[in-house]
Amino acid sequence: MAQLQCIVVTPEETALDEQVDFVALPLYDGEIGIGPGRAAMIGRMGYGELRLTTGGTTRRFYVDGGFVQVASNVVSVLTNRAVPASDVDAAVAAEHLSEARKRTANTEELFALRERMEQQARAQMRVASRAK
Amino acid sequence: MAKARALDKRRKAIRNIRKITRTMELIATARFKKAMDRAHAATAYTRRITQLVADLANSGLEVKHPLLEGRETVERSVLLVLTANRGLCGGYNGNVQRAGFARAAELRASTPKFELQISGKRGIAAAKFRNIEVHETYTHFEDKPTFDEVEVLANRFLEQYAAGTLDRLDVAYMCFENVSRQYAVVETLLPLGALGGTDDQPTTTQAQYEFLPSAESILEEVVPTSFKIKLFKCFLDAAVSEQVSRMVAMKAATKAAGDRIKQLSMAYNRARQTQITGEIMEIIGGVEALKG
Repeated sequence: MAQLQCIVVTPEETALDEQVDFVALPLYDGEIGIGPGRAAMIGRMGYGELRLTTGGTTRRFYVDGGFVQVASNVVSVLTNRAVPASDVDAAVAAEHLSEARKRTANTEELFALRERMEQQARAQMRVASRAK
Repeated sequence: MAKARALDKRRKAIRNIRKITRTMELIATARFKKAMDRAHAATAYTRRITQLVADLANSGLEVKHPLLEGRETVERSVLLVLTANRGLCGGYNGNVQRAGFARAAELRASTPKFELQISGKRGIAAAKFRNIEVHETYTHFEDKPTFDEVEVLANRFLEQYAAGTLDRLDVAYMCFENVSRQYAVVETLLPLGALGGTDDQPTTTQAQYEFLPSAESILEEVVPTSFKIKLFKCFLDAAVSEQVSRMVAMKAATKAAGDRIKQLSMAYNRARQTQITGEIMEIIGGVEALKG
């Protein structure tokens, strides 16, 4: 069966580089699934879960925004952070969420910032709960 | 006897120093390798971002973004000087400071509101010694700056730039070219100028990309990201250069200590021999006196 090469790069390291059957990742407005033979695309990512399926087993990561580029069966994910889902701490994320909600947002920029922090925290909590 | 013993004492002291400098050299070497690996890993990310920008440009999109264009009047500027937390690394701190403080003086003269930010205890101490006003200091960047830490800074600068409370950001750091060559530079990070991808030769694989949601929206996100990665790269370069400088400095120190030990050994042996000769002469003199 045709396979995809999935490369996950963060500024600190190349977190992952391997052959997989299927990749699901969060785009800015929802999840996208990428199988072998996907047409070339560049997408903006949101915060959430990156799933890699290889031969029936699924591995989960939390990814923190960034971009995805798909071309000739190579999926390159550029993200700020890629953490295995089992390492995401729901309690810490919940704390971040409550912290974010306390922030004042009296200008548009600050509001956008708060919105982003809330989304990040919520996505982390979601990923953590699904990893169990 | 006194002179020979004093020489021996000094030799012992220098031996101890040599042990320390050699250990420091080894530590710096190990840290340098680690820092180098991190810098390499970061390059992978930078290369992909550059590729992405090139692909965006190839799709006929005009690369335009507020962060890329300079302001007409620069009212508020910030200079960030990256120095080390520790000394004993040759000219590393001195060179960065010289470059940084010179630019600081220029900016202070040309912009009404100027802020100097320094990372690293050495730079902070130097600024204090020279009575240079420092607005913000950081000491938590060690030899392994993490992206999370740098991102906090980067986000703040981006926010300030967007809000109009910052018109220009310069960073003074030690640029790492290769193991035998590092030099202090002052770079302007905001406005970004060009997204380092314009001089690339056009890629041969002209894939027609589908953009989700749109090329403009992706560009909007790419530009801040490439600013962050640039700032991160500055920190990584500074960390690598620091370790290299320390390695070289400690190597030189170890060698100098070895040379000094050789000299002292020679002086010591000579002093001892002189002393022995003196004693023999005395004994012979005594015997001769008794004979008579």
